[in-house]
Amino acid sequence: MSDEVLATPGVRKWRAPGFALALPAWAWFVLFFVLPVGFVILLSFGAKPDIFRPYSLEVLSFDQYAKALDPAYGPTLKNTLRVGITGTIACLVIALPFAYWLAVRVPPRWRGLLLGLVLVPFWTNFLVRTIGWQLIISPDGIASSVLQQLGIISQPLNFLYSRSAVLLGVVYNYLPLMILPLFVAFDRLDPTLREASKDLGASRFRTFTQVTLPLAMPGVVAGLALVFIPLMGDYITAEVLGGAKGNMLGQLIASQFLSAQNWPLGAAMAVLLMLSITVTGLLFALIGVTVRSALRRRRRIVIDTGEVAA
Amino acid sequence: MTATAEPAQLHRRRVDWTNVAMGTWGVLMFAFLFAPIIVIVAYSFNTGRLLTSWNGFGVQGYTDLFDNPVAQSTVWVSIRAGVIAALVSTTLGSLAGVALARRPGRWVPFFLVVLTLVLVTPEIVDAVALLPWFVRLGTDWGLVAFSNGLVRLVVAHSLFAAAVVALIVRARMQGLDESLEESAADLYATPWNRFRQITLPLMMPAVLAGALMSFTLSLDNTIISSFISVTGNTPWPVYVFSSVRSGLRPEIAAVSTLMLLLTLVAIGIVGLVLRRGGESSGGIARTMTGG
Amino acid sequence: MSNDDGLRILASTEATQRLSRRSFLAGATVTAVAGTTLIAGCGSSDTAPSAGAGSSAGPIEDQLNMYTWGEYDSPKVLKEFTASVGPKLQVDSYNSNEEMVNKLVATKGTSGYDLVVPTGPFIPQMVANDLLEPMDLTRLPNFSNVDSVYLGQTWDPNNEHSVPKAWGTTGYAYDTTKIDREMTTWQDFLDVASTTASGQVSILDSPDNVVGLYLWAKNIDWMTTDMTLLDEAQDYLVNTLAPHVKKFESYPGSNGMPQGSFWLVHAWNGDARQGILSSDDQDRWKWVLPTPRTEIWMDNWCIPKGAPNPNAAYAWIDYVLDPGVSLKELSYIGYHTAIKGIEPAAKEAGLDRLDIVFFTPEQVATMEAGELNDAQQKRVDIWNAMKAAAGR
Repeated sequence: MSDEVLATPGVRKWRAPGFALALPAWAWFVLFFVLPVGFVILLSFGAKPDIFRPYSLEVLSFDQYAKALDPAYGPTLKNTLRVGITGTIACLVIALPFAYWLAVRVPPRWRGLLLGLVLVPFWTNFLVRTIGWQLIISPDGIASSVLQQLGIISQPLNFLYSRSAVLLGVVYNYLPLMILPLFVAFDRLDPTLREASKDLGASRFRTFTQVTLPLAMPGVVAGLALVFIPLMGDYITAEVLGGAKGNMLGQLIASQFLSAQNWPLGAAMAVLLMLSITVTGLLFALIGVTVRSALRRRRRIVIDTGEVAA
Repeated sequence: MTATAEPAQLHRRRVDWTNVAMGTWGVLMFAFLFAPIIVIVAYSFNTGRLLTSWNGFGVQGYTDLFDNPVAQSTVWVSIRAGVIAALVSTTLGSLAGVALARRPGRWVPFFLVVLTLVLVTPEIVDAVALLPWFVRLGTDWGLVAFSNGLVRLVVAHSLFAAAVVALIVRARMQGLDESLEESAADLYATPWNRFRQITLPLMMPAVLAGALMSFTLSLDNTIISSFISVTGNTPWPVYVFSSVRSGLRPEIAAVSTLMLLLTLVAIGIVGLVLRRGGESSGGIARTMTGG
Repeated sequence: MSNDDGLRILASTEATQRLSRRSFLAGATVTAVAGTTLIAGCGSSDTAPSAGAGSSAGPIEDQLNMYTWGEYDSPKVLKEFTASVGPKLQVDSYNSNEEMVNKLVATKGTSGYDLVVPTGPFIPQMVANDLLEPMDLTRLPNFSNVDSVYLGQTWDPNNEHSVPKAWGTTGYAYDTTKIDREMTTWQDFLDVASTTASGQVSILDSPDNVVGLYLWAKNIDWMTTDMTLLDEAQDYLVNTLAPHVKKFESYPGSNGMPQGSFWLVHAWNGDARQGILSSDDQDRWKWVLPTPRTEIWMDNWCIPKGAPNPNAAYAWIDYVLDPGVSLKELSYIGYHTAIKGIEPAAKEAGLDRLDIVFFTPEQVATMEAGELNDAQQKRVDIWNAMKAAAGR
């Protein structure tokens, strides 16, 4: 229709080329993201000459990668993966019933308010939330006094500065990032599908596992990704709650740039971090796709049999 | 069959255990989510020397804060940086969002890849990338602006925020019917008028939401800021972070409580704006997580 | 602490032979005389304690940014400085010299700091790498209050770049309600850390101190460059000690002792004192100056290159060199501030736990200084490896 109008003389429809509109953003990202990160990748192939110069790019090699993976530092990557995967799954398990309840069971007029309440911790400063937990689980903090009063423990609480404290911290900090996509996914679901499933005689559990959950799968995947990626790079939670046991890759990278002055090593670790996130993500995506196609095949057979029988 | 089943169900009044269980879980979750925040607010009224040891109830934390010009200046630095970063990222992001929604082309996949990378890269990687880069730009290449603390903060904060704004605006524009703009064109509106009277009002909720989100993200930014900030232009999260190392004081909790209130006000306004713009709760949630 | 006692000085490897007490005293006297003559000749000889700066090269700016060790200045003194002299103070802290040097190197003069506080041995190389501004002593009338024994150290013979701030030592403190046995040596520390106090130990977050733990326990010079010994140290620290460490903490006095997070803390003396004084039950902590050897360190005020507020920096240094102010500082930080007559003044003021601040000549004789030698990178590697291993 617009082309016909264009034919009318006197009207010139000027369309700014899309690329031009996006150009400022393009330039910004390239200048302040692509180039700096590229430099970091380049740095990872360098070496550290002496304590007063953080890096030298005279000789390029994979030495820093070898050092980052050697027995001294390798376990950190393993530990980070362990915390990353455990934390993400814990977030999923905790958030799933909650998001479902919020999106489906709560009366609609309350939904907005409760959602707003969920968002409040999400928008509180990450560091402040973590310090709050430090206050709670400190040996002279609230949890300690309450548990001692109740007689559950006899000594002050020895929880702060441990791996479990870090796990608690990361699960807490990234929980809203799991709740929100799940909420959106459940919210988008057409309630009639669930009703249909119930009418066909499926139990509530079966409805959930075979109708609701598969349909909400994009939200689950989004939540897993939104949590796993920043969790792997976490730095603050481990610093504030972890003590020596925290030991996440993010902390190690930071210390290479802040105190140990070995930028090439830090850069190599940063690249390894990004690689491990990508590889793990792809691995789980692959597993997910395989599982899904296997389930699909199984279900298809069942339905076909049913139809044939009818 | 249903006719006979219904009255029976009405009389039975069975307790729906799953609902009760879910409700309890929900309450527990809210307690869990709010625990540290409530604790911080409560401990801001601690009168001890160290934050972690509760000494008594009082407003010493807040009076210390008023006596501490450095802590106050960090708050102002954060607000200043936040406003400017919001302006920058909203402008960049809105233009990009409009371009993505209305004028797609072969450049879109590349741009989306860069956008995704910006959103997905862990903050620590951004931080260690930006610090040497700023030093290089500011000292090695003589672009003195990049040695200025405020400039550094604005640039660093606006990266992630611009990407988020772009996605929000794109999502909003994609949801809108382009025919409104087409009709304006058909009715001989100039491109500028078309933009001013049709496109802009339509995307305004998304732009406003994006601007406020950028502001909040900037206020909140800790890791990158702690690497690149220049003394004298220290944002408040960096101030808090450095006192984690040397000893937390009640005034830290006091400043955190005040900034929390500020953030809540900003987010509340976002919610209101989106609500007015006709979004549902789900839509708001979608927007908040960047789509 | 009188001048006649054999004070161990902090010498770097540049000194090819160990300075004997006699030659040291001779040298120190010469330098002190030369120094005082220089100062007397230039500025006013007025030693009245003043809140203002001496001959300043311009108006005092309204901001002063300090990059120093944690809890290293009395908050009261900081406030009083702002009230009487003017500049607002921004104080950031670091855990180790390496961290501070790295920040200055990485930011190449744009760090924004006006004052840094390096430990002596780091200064020569900082100067060589153009990280420090020269110190104009004529702008510090209160400089004459500094006890001349502490001036003219090997790392800065003419105090061209530094002014002494404080000196102290390294030791540990333990919770006697949790640890029964008597502890007096570094070996005791290592033993208890691996057994009774396992998982409740905090270690200083600084490479040389970490390596010193092992070497001192074995009565070896902690600055040894013998790689076999350092490998042994690494093996022990990484494989035997690391799993028992709860936190690498340079300031347990604020971050662990009052809260009861640790049973055994590796600490600098003043910080341990702060921790003991802030605890609910002071008597449960026992401070130990361990045998057979330990550290003596001296921290110094230095002005980094590119300092934006140099006049304020000079005003501050002059302010804290006043004996009255210095006593207030000492009372809070718990370290000897190198000012003439500070020890009798502190004893007269009846300050708490001065046994952790002032040491007898016999104790000082067991202390040795650090240095920046070829083993530095190895020490940093050991420290990194230990931190990585602790998290396994």
